[in-house]
Amino acid sequence: MVSPILTGTMPKVMRVVPRNRNIEGLLLFFVFGINAFELAQIQLSTLQVLRSDFWLYWAPLTLIALVVHGILRRRASEADSLILPIAVFLNGLGIAEIYRLDIAKAAAGATDLFAVKQVIWTLVAMAACAAVIWFVPNQLFLRRYVFVAMATGIALLLLPMLPFIGLTINGARLWIGIGPFTFQPGELAKIALIVFFAGYLVSRKDSLAVVGRTIFGIHIPRARELGPILVIWVASLAVLVLQRDLGTSLLYFGLFLVMIYVATGRAIYVVVGLGMFITGALVAAQVMDYVAGRFGAWLDAFNPERYDAVGGSYQLVQGIFGLAHGGLFGTGLGGGVPQLVPLAESDFIITSLGEELGLVGFFVILLCYLLLIQRGLRIAFKHQDDFSRLLAVGFSFVIALQCFIVIGGVTRVVPLTGLTTPLLAAGGSSLLANWMIIGLLLRLSDSVAIKRGAADE
Amino acid sequence: MSELALFLVRMGFVVVLWIFVFSIISVIRADIFGQKVVSKASVRNAPQVLSSPIIPAAPTAAVSVTSGAIGVASGAASRLVIIEGENTGKEIALEGREIHIGRAPNSDLVVNDEYASTQHAKLVLMNEDWLIQDLNSTNGTFLAGARVGTPAVVKLNTPVKIGKTVFELRA
Repeated sequence: MVSPILTGTMPKVMRVVPRNRNIEGLLLFFVFGINAFELAQIQLSTLQVLRSDFWLYWAPLTLIALVVHGILRRRASEADSLILPIAVFLNGLGIAEIYRLDIAKAAAGATDLFAVKQVIWTLVAMAACAAVIWFVPNQLFLRRYVFVAMATGIALLLLPMLPFIGLTINGARLWIGIGPFTFQPGELAKIALIVFFAGYLVSRKDSLAVVGRTIFGIHIPRARELGPILVIWVASLAVLVLQRDLGTSLLYFGLFLVMIYVATGRAIYVVVGLGMFITGALVAAQVMDYVAGRFGAWLDAFNPERYDAVGGSYQLVQGIFGLAHGGLFGTGLGGGVPQLVPLAESDFIITSLGEELGLVGFFVILLCYLLLIQRGLRIAFKHQDDFSRLLAVGFSFVIALQCFIVIGGVTRVVPLTGLTTPLLAAGGSSLLANWMIIGLLLRLSDSVAIKRGAADE
Repeated sequence: MSELALFLVRMGFVVVLWIFVFSIISVIRADIFGQKVVSKASVRNAPQVLSSPIIPAAPTAAVSVTSGAIGVASGAASRLVIIEGENTGKEIALEGREIHIGRAPNSDLVVNDEYASTQHAKLVLMNEDWLIQDLNSTNGTFLAGARVGTPAVVKLNTPVKIGKTVFELRA
């Protein structure tokens, strides 16, 4: 009975439901309040007065967050409402703690201050996030550039190896320097590689999962499909050897394993991959002093010889002492002595915060990461097409893995490796990359919501 | 600042942090459990969407009964009344646009039981009649006890069954 008209007169679904955006706005104002609270508390307990540079650390983040919020209202009104407030909260907490460390360092006469730099980088990074939301029409647009992404990713990874612009800082060759600016291109390579992995695995997932032989009940894919995994393994070990960066190689390898597992649903990849990585790491521990030192400092941290050795466990143990000093409820922001830990503003920011906020505050930070990752995985779960799902899984897991590697490292769960805590730690390249990831997740979550009933589940 | 004031500020900050975490969790909770029946048919057309409550978790608040809605031809039904199922007694105003029924949270009538499909059925107004169209649901849509194949006219006060939910159109 008259079915053509049934489909012909479908009313256009108007996008007038900014419920998400209203929640987001409310939570953002909450976060701005929390940020002001942090900074005021820090100034009052370290300087005893509120000073006007309060505004320098509070206003820029607030303004740019409102700009991103406005852009979301215009361009992605159905995007997830919790991602932006959580990210702004973590970023603001990072700025406050870096500022707090700067006050302590300035009092001791040091000149390498980070807070203003961090504010500037936050502005750049969130502008990049806004640009991603504004200019990327939807995530499928990225699928056209899968192999461009691969080439870009590899080029970015290799960039620090070039003469003249490559820089070695703290023994790792991860930076490029142009004039006074230093940048870590490997951070941006993460995004490019996730796009590549997602695109590659979407086209190969069936042959990876189905084709191949079964030996003793274990499925072994053909060499042709297995090849790229071996390539990634070799590449991540090459990063380890050439750039002396255990954390980044672990990150790339873990990311690829997770994505291949999600794409194929076969646990064998995880088992074999982890086996390969552990074998590689054990061999590296035997062969390379740098890796052996990290293992020693991890397993035998409190040995006085390790503690006093150059590149030993001093930093790690100081971080743990800081956490112990904080105890359950912390010393209060500005009340502890987190500046005693070397690199307290970057790798060890989480122990600085743990000392000043205590275990209770530490769990707030961990929960915020957990919620952020949960939102990302939920976006992946709700998407219909495999490319978007893999992208969202990749972006969520790259945040999860970084948290695990860094926070696990400073709390002696895994060997300590140099990676930045996402959104919290001082470091421009990491902020930029993570805010771009946030922008892409927001874009992905918007396109999930507008497909009203595309298919029956 | 005095020692006591600092202590209070310190504790206050931790409390504020936890309130932040719990407000996020409450939003997620509303996402998961809060959308039993959200009558978007009326909410969506209301002019004050911008200032709608943040968490329309309470089903009673979201449903409004507007008898004599605009745009409905005379003699046609003005409201959809649920007479059986977990939301018995709820009403949705019919204003001429399509009503989507199913488990999907963005349906106009969210039917939350395991016998309903995500996109189960829709009601369409055509030529002064409301038609029910089954959207290939697993367990079917029943109009006055008979399974709906092709779109069928729903007369006033005739029970339509979807999963465990039964509703009627009333003037």
